[in-house]
Amino acid sequence: MTNINPQREYDLMMTRRQLFGRTALGLGTAAMANLLGPDLCAKGTPTGPHHQPRAKRVIYLFMSGGPSHHDLWDYKPRMQEMYGKQLPKEVRDGQRLTGMTARQKTHPVAPSKYKFTKYENNDRGVWISELLPHTATVAKELCVVHSTFTEAINHDPAITYIQTGSQIPGRPSLGAWLSYGLGTMNENLPSYVVMHARSRFPEQSLFSRLWGTGFMPSDHQGILLRSQGDPVLYLSNPRGVSRNDRRAQLDALAAINQEQHEKFGDPEILARIRQHEMAYRMQASIPELMDLSKESADTFKLYGEEARKPGSFAACCLNARRLAERGVRNIQIFHRGWDAHGSLPREHESQCKDVDQGSAALIKDLKQRGMLEDTLVVWGGEFGRTAYCQGGLSRKNYGRDHHPRCFTVWMAGGGIKPGITYGQTDDYAYNIVDADGNTLKPQPTKEHWTPGTMHIHDLNATILHLVGFDHRRLTYRYQGRDFRLTDIHGHVIKDLLA
Amino acid sequence: MKMTRLFTTLALLACALQGSLLAEEKTAATPVDFAREVLPILSNKCFVCHGPASPKKDLLRLDSAAGATKDLGGYKAINTADPGKSEILVRLHSSDDPMPPQKAQKQLTERERTLISRWVRQGGKYAAHWAFIPPRKEKSAGKKPGTGNEIDAFILGQLQAKKLGFAPEADRSTLARRAALVLTGLPPEPERLQKFLADKDAGAYEKLVDHLLATQRYGEHQARYWLDAVRYGDTHGLHLDNKRGIYPYRDWVVYAFNSNLRMDDFITWQLAGDLLPKPTLQQRVATGFVRMNPTTAEGGAIPLEFQAKNNFDRTETMGTVLLGMTLTCARCHTHKYDPIPQTEYYQLLAFFNSTAEKSMDGNSYTYAPVIKAPSSQQAWIAWNKLNADGEKLLAGLEKETTTALEAKDANKWKNGSLEARLLLLAAGGTSPAKEEAKKITDAMAKSAGGFTTTLVAKDLGKPRVTRVLRRGEYNQPVGEPLQPGTLSVMNAFPEKAPRNRLGLARWLTSREHPLVSRVLVNRVWQRVFGDGIVRTPEDFGMQGQQPTHPELLDWLAVELQENDWNLKHMLRLMVTSRTFRQASTRRTDFDDPENRLFARGPSHRLDAEVLRDIALWASHLMAPNMGGEGIKPYQPAGLWSALMHPASNTKKYVADKGEKLYRRSLYVYWKRTSPHPMMTLFDAPSRETSCVKRSRTNTSLQSLGLFNETQRVEMARKLAERLIKEAADDKGRLDLLFTLLTCREANNNERKACQGLLDAMRNRYKEAEKDALALLSMGEAARDKELDPAEHAAWTQVAITLLASDLAILLY
Repeated sequence: MTNINPQREYDLMMTRRQLFGRTALGLGTAAMANLLGPDLCAKGTPTGPHHQPRAKRVIYLFMSGGPSHHDLWDYKPRMQEMYGKQLPKEVRDGQRLTGMTARQKTHPVAPSKYKFTKYENNDRGVWISELLPHTATVAKELCVVHSTFTEAINHDPAITYIQTGSQIPGRPSLGAWLSYGLGTMNENLPSYVVMHARSRFPEQSLFSRLWGTGFMPSDHQGILLRSQGDPVLYLSNPRGVSRNDRRAQLDALAAINQEQHEKFGDPEILARIRQHEMAYRMQASIPELMDLSKESADTFKLYGEEARKPGSFAACCLNARRLAERGVRNIQIFHRGWDAHGSLPREHESQCKDVDQGSAALIKDLKQRGMLEDTLVVWGGEFGRTAYCQGGLSRKNYGRDHHPRCFTVWMAGGGIKPGITYGQTDDYAYNIVDADGNTLKPQPTKEHWTPGTMHIHDLNATILHLVGFDHRRLTYRYQGRDFRLTDIHGHVIKDLLA
Repeated sequence: MKMTRLFTTLALLACALQGSLLAEEKTAATPVDFAREVLPILSNKCFVCHGPASPKKDLLRLDSAAGATKDLGGYKAINTADPGKSEILVRLHSSDDPMPPQKAQKQLTERERTLISRWVRQGGKYAAHWAFIPPRKEKSAGKKPGTGNEIDAFILGQLQAKKLGFAPEADRSTLARRAALVLTGLPPEPERLQKFLADKDAGAYEKLVDHLLATQRYGEHQARYWLDAVRYGDTHGLHLDNKRGIYPYRDWVVYAFNSNLRMDDFITWQLAGDLLPKPTLQQRVATGFVRMNPTTAEGGAIPLEFQAKNNFDRTETMGTVLLGMTLTCARCHTHKYDPIPQTEYYQLLAFFNSTAEKSMDGNSYTYAPVIKAPSSQQAWIAWNKLNADGEKLLAGLEKETTTALEAKDANKWKNGSLEARLLLLAAGGTSPAKEEAKKITDAMAKSAGGFTTTLVAKDLGKPRVTRVLRRGEYNQPVGEPLQPGTLSVMNAFPEKAPRNRLGLARWLTSREHPLVSRVLVNRVWQRVFGDGIVRTPEDFGMQGQQPTHPELLDWLAVELQENDWNLKHMLRLMVTSRTFRQASTRRTDFDDPENRLFARGPSHRLDAEVLRDIALWASHLMAPNMGGEGIKPYQPAGLWSALMHPASNTKKYVADKGEKLYRRSLYVYWKRTSPHPMMTLFDAPSRETSCVKRSRTNTSLQSLGLFNETQRVEMARKLAERLIKEAADDKGRLDLLFTLLTCREANNNERKACQGLLDAMRNRYKEAEKDALALLSMGEAARDKELDPAEHAAWTQVAITLLASDLAILLY
């Protein structure tokens, strides 16, 4: 494990930034690598952190499809009295609905069928649904934000929005921005790793743009760590080719490329020789990473037996911890199937079973290894779900449409205030309200932010802040414009910071 | 020793100081070029507040002379009458009230302050941004150097100013490889290479270039860049990302390049082929350009919202591809840097707002309107030949013959398309051409039987109303309905041109348009030399980089216009220049890592498609078929299903069988939300948005792909087979391998490295035939069982190594 003191790292990064700033293109990256050592010569990071980071790495558990905040996090007992009754007009208040329920004749209130319990945290306690019993055991670590919101009401735009800062494809993803800013701490592993966890309801699509680089150089794209076939694409040698054979090939290749370099003097040729060698090392380090045989029985007690099954969410969480230990700073797990339009109970019960134990285990595991304090863990989807029912409503079954006005996201670890809840919603978990219950209609601008609310740009600004970046200054110039993950928006939510 | 060094240092310092003082005095008098030196600074650091999108109405404006010299109550920011009294000079250097203000994110550097001050003191004269003034061939190219053409005069001019000259010429074999890769995306055929090397004629190289320009492979390679720019994909791109039937457009683009369609027509047909009088099939298929935007049919999506988004995408893509500018800023507010008001953005958008398709694609392959078109390159060639034959036939007919038609047919004749006329001719009358016409129409009917559908543009009878959308919100239209219109900072909309897409095309291809020809030649230059004359091909605006050779860029732009927009002419000029023929070896006589002087030949890693095509070609696996439905080479299992919605029809990737596995990479199926991994691994874009310049990364994962991907192994073993069969011994085989990939023989060190690997592999596979057979079973192509497996496997290992080496994957 690469162990670097954040303060020292920050100082070194600053030195490096000054060097880069002064020398511009005078010094090649190769020379820089020799000067500063491999840890700090992350490719393509021109900036270094803007301030002292609170977290060294980010693990993002993305619940694709939009989990129902009503059934998991946002306890609304008064909805029970309204069962089956029309959602009051003043609550909906002109909210645009998706094409799926806009023409539905009635919009009956659908209270959650699940029992909620109040768990102690470091504040006033937090209500958590019976669907997340394991997560409830780490309540004291979680910062639960009930007032997350977005403008997008459909999956493709919404997921593209929260992951890239724009509803229209073409921008670099959050992960690419992190890779661009953070670089890598382990040359033998990719700096940005993406996993797709299995779900029984693989509904809604994912897109490579969610971990893509848009107009940024493509070496910042997320590398898929897969549970099927090679864990990293093309990692294994072809049939009939041994590690020794590859060694012999690479030696011949290096001799030939060296010859080419002597003739043409192109420094890229030398860089490529190093990349071939790194690939060779990766062929050993990735299988080592994926080999869970040395994990203790306690590990599997913590993550559950499910973690032995490659591709399960629990296995992905365990991999995330192993990647973090090995210096990978930017890890995302995508779990699909949260888009419960019709049979929410059946689907969400299964979904929660998938993610509950793994998420909680990851928090506990990081904590017991002393890594939670510098690892930011984020859990959430692209929007929430409606208070009213989509399709037929019964006590046993109901569905919910997409809801952008409020949803719940939690964060934990690196620099986040542990054990608090933030923001609140009205009796239908439909609108964000202030402490006195007055409806807030947050319309954030560059200057103005409504306390108690967290737009998805605010979430992203806060994530960047925790890893040491000012979201207004982490920029990449394309077509004459200095682009940012948060576009021209976003406010760091200081209330959430430890 | 120490003392001496100290003394020398001091002496040097003193000299440097004196020198710099002299230099300063000299520079104060040197005229500042406002457009090139000052405007970019103002744009980047001042316009945020003092520019076209000033946050406050009464704030000083620095984006025009009128604004900057306005009387501000007894004083002026820039006082042209008495420059020394310009307020800007005070504020620039003020410590208590500086400009930019201390809290501003972007601060001026000392050099920039000095430069602006100098410009103000010299009178503070404004001039337009260079890219908004139409290019002129005003500056003569100068004297052509002995062995070069006009291009070289411009390049040499800058070199000589720095007391430098061209690098030596690359050796002939390297040059042949370079020219072939640049023009066709493949190395030269060995026979053609030998012919060239043996040709002692002074024009031998030019002959080779003409040969390359005439091959069918030329159009395929050039088309690829255009397809990146227009974001061509085989799927809709959003949500289910279902299949979209539009590949006839891709094949038409290849056809257009191969037939060297004039670039102005190339643009016009794509923007507005359907609006031309009696549009031909080619012209209508070309409008697939207008339909290339990603689309959705997501359940909850709101049609009006996507009508707006589709329009944004088209307008902004047109901006990037043809204007070399981003218009995106002006979607929400007046552009902060470039003089593009929000209203004009929506006027430009209005050209695209009246196309007939629904805003949601219905997840349909035949997302209407569609027409039927040839389904392969061969079919296009056949179809266009029939048309040419038909036209020739009609042109040759006597007037009397045509009037012999019955009266009711006369009208049909007058207004009919070529096909309709031929049918009339074939059906009735007594024309002597009847038989010939029938032959053609029969062949046409037969040809049309094999047609497939393709998405095209068509306008609604009644145009949609376009208004400005406040902050780009689809549901917040404001102001009066807008007429379609163009950007006022550029040339005027042509008189008499219709206010529709055809008029837009006329505006873009006008001789007076300041950007289109520059943007096009810059991208052509970029694919020949590796980098553009403007290094930001996506941005010619004020925030973009200045051209390294402005007069050359303008000269080329006008040359294109003056020569009937002839692309082959431009490419021929570039690749036959002395500049292109320089060796690409890094020079030690001066430092220019980015080759901004073009003082050496191009060198960079080749594109994803080219890497695969070279190996397909060298192994003799490449299929001759061109075009058709996107082909699906091997791909690791589960990549699509891990992402896709169960209802998507691109959820399951089924690799092709047989010859489709081996078609050129241009034809690889492009699923926009998950393109083929060997493409993205080597920087191919997703084609969700326009890409006019690919990044060129260098990663370890690329190494894994080069050595381990199934098709790479398959191509290597077929190449090994070829080597073993075509040459008798190790030396001969290595020579052939090197000739194919590098156009030359191996040198001693290379030979030693290859022979060492070969011997080691031979020994190893002799001991383990099972491993040899396992390696030789990768991929579908049959193995020649006559060959000794150990020998074949050993050569496979050598071949895959060479194919992965920088000898094969770089242009140099």
